[in-house]
Amino acid sequence: MSGEAPGTWEEVARRYGQKIYTFSYRLTGNRDDALDLAQEVLLRVRKGLHTYRPGSFEGWLWRITRNAFIDETRRRKRRPTVPLAEVDRGAGGVAPPPEEVLATVRLGEDVQQALLSLPYEFREAVVLCDVVGLTYDEIAEAVDVPVGTVRSRIHRGRRMLREKLG
Amino acid sequence: MKHPEDLLSALVDGELTATERHAVTEHLETCPTCRAELTEITIARDTVRDLPMIDPPPGLIPESAPARRRLLRPVWAWAAAGAAALALVIGLATGPGVSEPEVDLETLANRHTARLVVQPGIQTVRAPAGGG
Repeated sequence: MSGEAPGTWEEVARRYGQKIYTFSYRLTGNRDDALDLAQEVLLRVRKGLHTYRPGSFEGWLWRITRNAFIDETRRRKRRPTVPLAEVDRGAGGVAPPPEEVLATVRLGEDVQQALLSLPYEFREAVVLCDVVGLTYDEIAEAVDVPVGTVRSRIHRGRRMLREKLG
Repeated sequence: MKHPEDLLSALVDGELTATERHAVTEHLETCPTCRAELTEITIARDTVRDLPMIDPPPGLIPESAPARRRLLRPVWAWAAAGAAALALVIGLATGPGVSEPEVDLETLANRHTARLVVQPGIQTVRAPAGGG
């Protein structure tokens, strides 16, 4: 897949939209932030698709995705609202509606919470590897670090996850 | 060889060179600590991999173009429409000598195609999303 021409923006969105949204959810931990991030990614893809040169399309796409996440996190730090991945679910003591509880159970909430507790670099590496399905080389390209660093982050991330999940 | 640690995840992911793989598997044969670690990180890896993909809310992903959808209508629907139209025309041509209004074949075919399309049992079948 990596070397294939990406096609039109709509084709990219249809092909990768669910994966981008899932990646965004696993990284941010809530649907609103995931939607904002996925929309931003698709907007950047739309604007930047003409600049893509044949090579690793997935590397290009996921680099855009993680850059969008980092930019959004920085933006929120400058103008604090509700920080990405740091939603205080217990605040106010208002119980979530039953359908939301059911949805979070179905989405593997315990694993999600464990993922969110990882330092960003480890969470990102684990999600790109085990949720998105990128190779170590593709992750290295997307994150712009050596493959050895990717190996280390994935391994340490998994080890932390295992400790948290018991 | 000292404990390979980071290389254990790479081993599970098939991301080692042949030389590295050989060295790590050789080490595992004699190191219960690393074998236990391998089991633990494999469980963590599978746990994350088992998480479901999440459907995005409507509107995020653009719909397919209408023209494309029409092409996805099953071939048998077109064949059924044609057969129904033909049967009706033959029936009209060979039926009792009652004066019938003139019927244009194309109009008939279009009418029956439209009827078949709106019947609940005949729906557009969409292929499942490609796993990319």
